[in-house]
Amino acid sequence: MTDHLNLLIGLAMGLNLVALGSSRLPSLIRVAAFQGVVLGLMPLVMEPELGVLAGLIASATVLMKGLVIPGLLRRAMRAARIERDLAPLIGFLPSLLLGAAGMMGAVALARQLPLLPEHRNSLLVPGAAATVFTGLLLLVGRTKAISQVCGYLILENGIYLFGLLLLGSTPLLVEGGILLDLTVAVFVTGIIVDRIQRAFDSLDTRKLTALHE
Amino acid sequence: MIPGALLAIAAVATGASLLSAGRAPRAWLALLLTGQAAALGAAGWVLAGGPEWEWQGGLAIGGEAVQLRLDAVSAWFLALVAVVGGAGAVYAREYWSPEAHPVSAGSGRVWWSLLLATMVLLLLCSNGLHFLMAWEGFALAAFFLITLDGQGREVREAGWLYLAASHAGTLLLIAFFSVLAARTGSWELGPMRDQPGLAWLYWLALGGFGVKAGLFPLHMWLPSAHANAPSHVSAILSGVAIKMGIYGLVRFGGWLPVPVEAGWLVLGLGVVSAVLGVAFALGQHDLKRLLAYHSVENIGIILIALGLALVAYARGQMAWGELALAGGLLHVWNHGLFKALLFLGAGAVLHATGTREMSRLGGLWRAMPWTAALFAVGAVAIAGLPPLNGFVSEWLVYLGLFDALNPPAAALPALPAIVCLATTGALALACFVKVCGVGFLGAPRTEAARRAHECGPWMRGPMLVLAAACAAIGLAPAGCWPALRSVVGSWGAAWRDLPAPESLGTLGVVHTGLVLLAVGGAIGLRRRLRGRWRRGVTWDCGYAAPTARMQYTAGSFAGILTEWFGWILRPARHEERPEALFPGRAALAEHTPETVLEKVVVPVARWVLRVATLARRLQHGRVQAYLFYVILGLAALAALVLATGP
Repeated sequence: MTDHLNLLIGLAMGLNLVALGSSRLPSLIRVAAFQGVVLGLMPLVMEPELGVLAGLIASATVLMKGLVIPGLLRRAMRAARIERDLAPLIGFLPSLLLGAAGMMGAVALARQLPLLPEHRNSLLVPGAAATVFTGLLLLVGRTKAISQVCGYLILENGIYLFGLLLLGSTPLLVEGGILLDLTVAVFVTGIIVDRIQRAFDSLDTRKLTALHE
Repeated sequence: MIPGALLAIAAVATGASLLSAGRAPRAWLALLLTGQAAALGAAGWVLAGGPEWEWQGGLAIGGEAVQLRLDAVSAWFLALVAVVGGAGAVYAREYWSPEAHPVSAGSGRVWWSLLLATMVLLLLCSNGLHFLMAWEGFALAAFFLITLDGQGREVREAGWLYLAASHAGTLLLIAFFSVLAARTGSWELGPMRDQPGLAWLYWLALGGFGVKAGLFPLHMWLPSAHANAPSHVSAILSGVAIKMGIYGLVRFGGWLPVPVEAGWLVLGLGVVSAVLGVAFALGQHDLKRLLAYHSVENIGIILIALGLALVAYARGQMAWGELALAGGLLHVWNHGLFKALLFLGAGAVLHATGTREMSRLGGLWRAMPWTAALFAVGAVAIAGLPPLNGFVSEWLVYLGLFDALNPPAAALPALPAIVCLATTGALALACFVKVCGVGFLGAPRTEAARRAHECGPWMRGPMLVLAAACAAIGLAPAGCWPALRSVVGSWGAAWRDLPAPESLGTLGVVHTGLVLLAVGGAIGLRRRLRGRWRRGVTWDCGYAAPTARMQYTAGSFAGILTEWFGWILRPARHEERPEALFPGRAALAEHTPETVLEKVVVPVARWVLRVATLARRLQHGRVQAYLFYVILGLAALAALVLATGP
């Protein structure tokens, strides 16, 4: 069971690197969506005995992260007719290197943490930390509003991974709340994207500095 | 009981005056004067030996029950507020009339009422929190009065400088009161000399109150604020408002234990303020700015006295401490009276000629005999000459300083203080000879000075009252002693029932004799010279056509004296010498900068601003950067948690 889970987490971590390396917006959205689907499958692998509950979580996650949110993002992208290049603040190669370094750091960090014995051998904690780090890196390093939303998505994926540690106890409600927040955020961003596009004729958030004072 | 009733009347009248300030100037004036008269009555009652008045109200402000107390120290200052506040209000009726200032006259009345009300509250509060509130209200009211004529750039700059300096001082006071409250466990104020651990707090008080009082290095806000405010505002600022700083120093010098060195430091600061204040005054060409620097000088004299009293208290030397303190407190009153008189006189000159520049005045005594005479009275008083009040208070301070030199417990640093005080007096005299000579004597230098006119009764009346008060204290100094005794007694508990110094009575007799002699001499001289006046050219060695511009200017009159102090005044001189056989243009201009402000405060402020601008680069509106800061913050917190362990 742990092997299957680790395989999925490894896949998600690989997708982190793909996200950092992708230079076009549609591919970034696709990677985030795919990572969401991979994450959605995990409860099924982890706790087969949970049955209906796990199935519910899995289907809801796949639906939201794999279909609804990426769909919203694609619509926003089309509506705003934005250029598809990502115009990074941190270049793709440095991003990849930083991402790889972050991954190693995450593994090292997980060794330091006082984990339960059953989580010692799983990649869950390092995977979560690395995904959170990737999300933050995307947030800081990309300029387009939509790519930042993708950064949030990946950040949320990392938090979700942490949440899986506690799947048996309570976090369904918490996870549901986070997911709801994220959807609202995507909605709001969709509106803001439209406004930024109209005001500046571009989606570059750096141009927002023109608003200060 | 009676003071309470009178203060209640004052509160109601002042409140009503606030309501009527906008529309009904006459009603405002009547109500304000009623209020001030009632407050004066309450103060007089306590000063005349009545019991202290205390009141504890049921209502609480900021979680603290309102507590008011009127003891002799507060009453002494309260009486000054009432007198100068009333005089200024009457003066403003003509000087800042609704016809000439349709917009600002009304707001001026509102802020005047508020200023007086907050100052009275400040004097009555015996709770640290409420003291701070009143202090802040008072500072704000003064700011709005200074910037009453908000059109001029100079006025606005002076206002901002005042506000900034005032708040820097308030910051120290907030620290002072909150530490005091934390140490004693309550905001209540009262005598706490038995807690030596609180002694260091006096340094905070010295800084905070010192800014308001305008002692020397902290005076940088004072000249421009006093010069640019409307004259009745300058009068109350200089006569009363800066005394609130002195009130704080006196009050907490009496209530708190004071470090022994603090007395000497206050004395030293007083000496520096006195000498340098008058030196800067000599370098000024602006009449009101010159008067403002004399405020620094007089605050210095008061601080010399206060410092000596603190030293005496620490050493248990009642004999000279009480004299010095009484002299200092009397000087608070005297300076309040004659400085208000001088500023009102300067206002009359400004009103008549439209300029404060002394080199544009001259010969005003013909056109404005009342103003010139009253200004001269103020000048004699401020220069510390007999027979007026300035001499009386300085006399007491001198007595204290000389007694301090008596063995066996001689305090030798009093000796240089005596020398410096004497120097200050001499320089002040020189400075006022300059003002009166250049401004009022000689021939008019400009058309404006030629067309000057005497001020009306509303402006003349308050000046007359103030001049009469100056003369009264000068002629009957012993009459002030009972009040002074109760103030000194309520300041230091051990210092009760002081005998009046014998010389005070003698002084009164001598002063009266001097006045009678002078009046008799003047009448006799006039009678002898009657019908024998002849008007002619004074002195014409080849000057067939002397012009008014050939007179001594303010700068040339004080030239030698300002050269002595060139090391601190740093006068900027611009000269174009006449050259060749038939010289063409020549010019000489001299300007005394605000040395402390321009050479110290402004460079430091500029440096702080530069550092602050660097920090501002962090904040430039880029979302990514903000996220990065958040991440850095989180990482730092995580590192902290990991490093310190759970």
